[in-house]
Amino acid sequence: MNEESSKKGSLATLIPYLKSHRSRLALVCFLVVAVVLIDLVQPWLVKEVIDRYVTVSKPDSGAILGMAAAYLGLVLLAFALTWYQDIVLQRIGLSIVRSLRIDLFRHIQRLALRYFDQNSAGRIMTNVVSDTEALNNFFTLFLSNTLRGVFSLLLIMAFMLHLDVSIALYCFLLIPPVVILAICFQRKILTVNTEVRHRLGVVIGFLAENLSGMTIVQIFHQEAKQQKRLEERNKALLAATILENKWFLLFFNITELFGDLAVAALVWFGGKGVIGGTISFGVLYAFVGYIRRFFQPINTISQQMNTQQSSIVASGRISRTLQEVPDIKEVDGAKAPEVEGRIELDGVSLAYRPGHPVLHDIHLLIQPGERVGFVGATGAGKSSIMNLVTRFYDVTSGAVIIDGKDVRHWPLEALRRSVGIVQQDVTLFSGTILDNIRFFQSHISEERVREACQLVGAEPFILRQPLGYDTILSERGSTLSAGERQLLSFARVLIFDPRILILDEATASLDSRTEEVLQKAIHRVSVDRTLLVIAHRLSTVQQMDTICVLEQGRIVESGSHDELLRLEGHYWLLHQAGLLLDEVA
Amino acid sequence: MKGLRIVVSYIRLHWLFYLVGISMVAGGSLLAAQIPRLLGSFTDSLRDGRLGSSEMAGYAGLIVLIGLVRVSTGWGGRVLVHHKGRQLTYQLRQQLFEKWGTLSPSYYHRHSVGDMISHALSDVEVVRELVSQGINQAVSGLAMLLAAIYIMAMHVDWRLTLAGMGPLLCIPLLVKWLGPQIRLQSQRSQEALGAMVQTTEEVIEGIRAVKAFGTEHVVISRFEKRVDTIVEEKMRFVRLSALFGALVPLMVNIGFIFVLGYGGFLVTQKTISLGDFVAFTLYVALLRMPLEQLGNVLNIVQRSIASLNRIDELLRVVPEVLDRKGPLLDRPLQGALCVKSLSFRYPESDRDILSDISFSVKPGQTLGIIGEMGSGKSTLANLLLRLYDPPDGSVFVDGVDILNYPLSRLREGIAYVPQDGFLFSCTVLENIGFSDEYPDSDRAERCARITAVHDNIVAFPEKYATEVGERGVRLSGGQKQRIAIARMIYKDAAFQIMDDSLSAVDTTTERQILLNLRELSRPGSESKGPLKATIIISHRLSAVQHADEIIVLEEGRIVERGNHATLISRCGIYASQWFMQAGQSEEGEPESTEVDGERDISQPDLDAEMEVLEAGRLEEAL
Repeated sequence: MNEESSKKGSLATLIPYLKSHRSRLALVCFLVVAVVLIDLVQPWLVKEVIDRYVTVSKPDSGAILGMAAAYLGLVLLAFALTWYQDIVLQRIGLSIVRSLRIDLFRHIQRLALRYFDQNSAGRIMTNVVSDTEALNNFFTLFLSNTLRGVFSLLLIMAFMLHLDVSIALYCFLLIPPVVILAICFQRKILTVNTEVRHRLGVVIGFLAENLSGMTIVQIFHQEAKQQKRLEERNKALLAATILENKWFLLFFNITELFGDLAVAALVWFGGKGVIGGTISFGVLYAFVGYIRRFFQPINTISQQMNTQQSSIVASGRISRTLQEVPDIKEVDGAKAPEVEGRIELDGVSLAYRPGHPVLHDIHLLIQPGERVGFVGATGAGKSSIMNLVTRFYDVTSGAVIIDGKDVRHWPLEALRRSVGIVQQDVTLFSGTILDNIRFFQSHISEERVREACQLVGAEPFILRQPLGYDTILSERGSTLSAGERQLLSFARVLIFDPRILILDEATASLDSRTEEVLQKAIHRVSVDRTLLVIAHRLSTVQQMDTICVLEQGRIVESGSHDELLRLEGHYWLLHQAGLLLDEVA
Repeated sequence: MKGLRIVVSYIRLHWLFYLVGISMVAGGSLLAAQIPRLLGSFTDSLRDGRLGSSEMAGYAGLIVLIGLVRVSTGWGGRVLVHHKGRQLTYQLRQQLFEKWGTLSPSYYHRHSVGDMISHALSDVEVVRELVSQGINQAVSGLAMLLAAIYIMAMHVDWRLTLAGMGPLLCIPLLVKWLGPQIRLQSQRSQEALGAMVQTTEEVIEGIRAVKAFGTEHVVISRFEKRVDTIVEEKMRFVRLSALFGALVPLMVNIGFIFVLGYGGFLVTQKTISLGDFVAFTLYVALLRMPLEQLGNVLNIVQRSIASLNRIDELLRVVPEVLDRKGPLLDRPLQGALCVKSLSFRYPESDRDILSDISFSVKPGQTLGIIGEMGSGKSTLANLLLRLYDPPDGSVFVDGVDILNYPLSRLREGIAYVPQDGFLFSCTVLENIGFSDEYPDSDRAERCARITAVHDNIVAFPEKYATEVGERGVRLSGGQKQRIAIARMIYKDAAFQIMDDSLSAVDTTTERQILLNLRELSRPGSESKGPLKATIIISHRLSAVQHADEIIVLEEGRIVERGNHATLISRCGIYASQWFMQAGQSEEGEPESTEVDGERDISQPDLDAEMEVLEAGRLEEAL
């Protein structure tokens, strides 16, 4: 039943795309039939030569040469048609996969952060890359080979029936055993192949892990032990591949044998027929020719079954993704208010999973230009508040109101451009420094990028790069230090000139000296903006106008540094402990 | 061509297998080439009317017999050759891994894991193609081709043979000509696909940034561009491969036309018999596949030479760190370390990473090393572990130059915790007892208690038998680090090196673990076994404050040294960082510290911590 539904899913995903290429697909079918026909006419031509021009009283060599010349014309035509047909079919496949990929990617971009938090990057990647590629194989391998194979089989049967009905029917007796054989083989190969893939995956995983951890292996002096563990996995893979190979060769050789037996049977029965005068020799020849061609399409089709299986699985996964409903939606006709930077949390609660709230009834009013720090242990709800202000998630109850308007009634893009966020992990893309800062939006001028970089103090190190602003960042900026990357991300936020700026542990992974440079940048950047800072070290939030101490999803204290110290409450304790708890493991 | 030696010596080693396998494959093909000829003479006998039912049975029986024999020998031969080919892949993978086990980090810096895996997978597979499929196809194709040409040219008519076979012989040439172009274009479309993978990866991993800036449309248009490039490159590939796909049947068909026209003509002229004509047409059809395969073999050879050379090169890499020649000091390590004016630079670098470093640690002592990123503290660990060789006469273990120990002795005597807490994807127990073939679960549990991770482990559904997942993904960063420290303790080595190993552990747990460790290595403690020397590298000062000596590194030099109290009193880098990390840089005298003893602060060791802090401040004040 499961298989049934996934098959339906496969059809459902592809059908609309296939429909838009209906006429081209019909053309391809027509071309395939023409090409196969020209190819299959060969034994029939020989039969004609034998019966009409050779084994007659007056052999006609002129007619034979004429026939050869005419067939040459057909063959050249077939050459052109084959080429054209292949290109048309592949183009259909490629453009369908292209639209699928783009639709899928657009859809994924529309999904809310919840989707990305719940699905690993690896899974999403598989969806966008491998699953669509599997569908590409569906067209390039499965469809083209199957179309050709099926039409070949049908046409061979037609030719046989045309030549002699009773011999043809005898030959068709071969079909059931060959089909049964092919199905059995198919099943076997599927299981064997799955096992090979699995064991190969194990070996790759083992190698990947041990190569990245080779230092540990060497330091603990366990090379021999790991070699032995590889041997176990490698041997298992060896056994599986040898088995797979044996099955392939078995099937291949059995069909070959079938071919020879069929020819022998034709010689026996057909020979008698020729002597008895019931059939001509040419007909017997043609049958021999056709029966030899009979097995090739069956071989080809059964080899494509793996492709078909994996594309069914793939398209099932794709359609499931396409059915995901984005849970953050823009209200129709939403309009942004005049942005000043006033934030109000009105009895806000949030639960990522139903029944497990992480924020409880938070009330907080932040005035434009106010600087607010948030402290608390991991899991206290600091980042969750930011997720609500940026509307990465929607509140479970209550409301987040920015400049008098519920964020759910803001246009998403306007909201996110009014609220800038700098995170601990800086995301850089492969491209130039310039493009990274302006986020690949070429309408933002280079001057503006420069201004931003000068303001945050990033320009000196950018100019030190080989090509300055045009330096291409390789491997997501791994050549830059953590501090430099963070400076770039400050500059990036400035480009968009948000009224509200969130620093989410922006300086957590930096050493003290780099942090100092960044603190200065923060000072310059935060002028005239509402600033929300999630702190890692108390020193970062000391100068804030207000500090909110969060504990288990509630604001337990708030006030300025001095006020909070005087309270001798939670903040005071944290302060005494000297360091904030980084992570509660 | 050097790489070809690998294959040649392998075949030579298993020459008997290959001799038998190749002869069987060739025999099968030679027999297969007899069938058209047989059908030809059947035709002639039939025409002459001298065919009785016993002769007919003879023909049919002969075909069945040839079929049985040729299929079974061909099959057997192919199985043999394939089997040996698979064994070669197995063997090469083992050899590669063994080699990798001997190479030092500098090699791993220069080569990505992805590249190495592609050696072990793709390159090895290409070689396998050569020694199994390549040999099979070359042998069977050549045997069939030669047999067919011989039979036709000798028994029938060489001109017809030339006309019929000529176009077919072009097929290998076509493969040779178009094959590389097709492969190149296929690579280009793979690269285009790779670019899309990269873009997707970046976007998905940076999805918060994309959404935070409201720039979904920007990444979508980037993605669209990548997809369009794929379509372009793939269409180029399709045009080439479709051309090839159409040319091969064209050649076969032209051969067929020659046979049909010229052969038919010769039959009417009675130059050849009808049977010969029939056999000819069947040969043209029969040879199509072997000839395509022969062309393919040429490409396999070309491709595999490149792969073989890469593998050969890899197997010849000389490890940078090796046991010294000459007599070595093969005795267990005691735990005394002395570094004397050590300077070091990485090969291919023109800058000293470490300059003029001297310190010593005795058994039972702890050394703390503090410094910012890039100050050289991890390099120092690399040298002590001999992941890189230090210069002669600079690092001494138990009074003897570290270079005079065999690597295996040295690494037996050192236990280490890496920064990231790297774990292997096996059970918790196997990870903690990584230094043992069969880990002792009691001992592992003791170690886990010391690093305060035992409670976490027993909360897992399968406790110590829990699989940690690839690189420990199922654990939090702190749990990974604590298990990695337990792994170090389990090894019970004379030296213990911790490289920033507590960064993901919260400060109270950190104190707990450090306290337990001190208990363990303190002279006169109840723990059994000899005293250990401990080296703690950290950027968090709280990890090293109890060390007997702390050295502060800056740009590869020791800028300050001493114990916590003296360093605090010196008011230098250490002291300023201490107050910054404690969040008290701008604070006046915290009047509240006095009451701290009365407050209920649950961590037992926090008081001690505060005392030290106070002591430091007092000294500063004096």
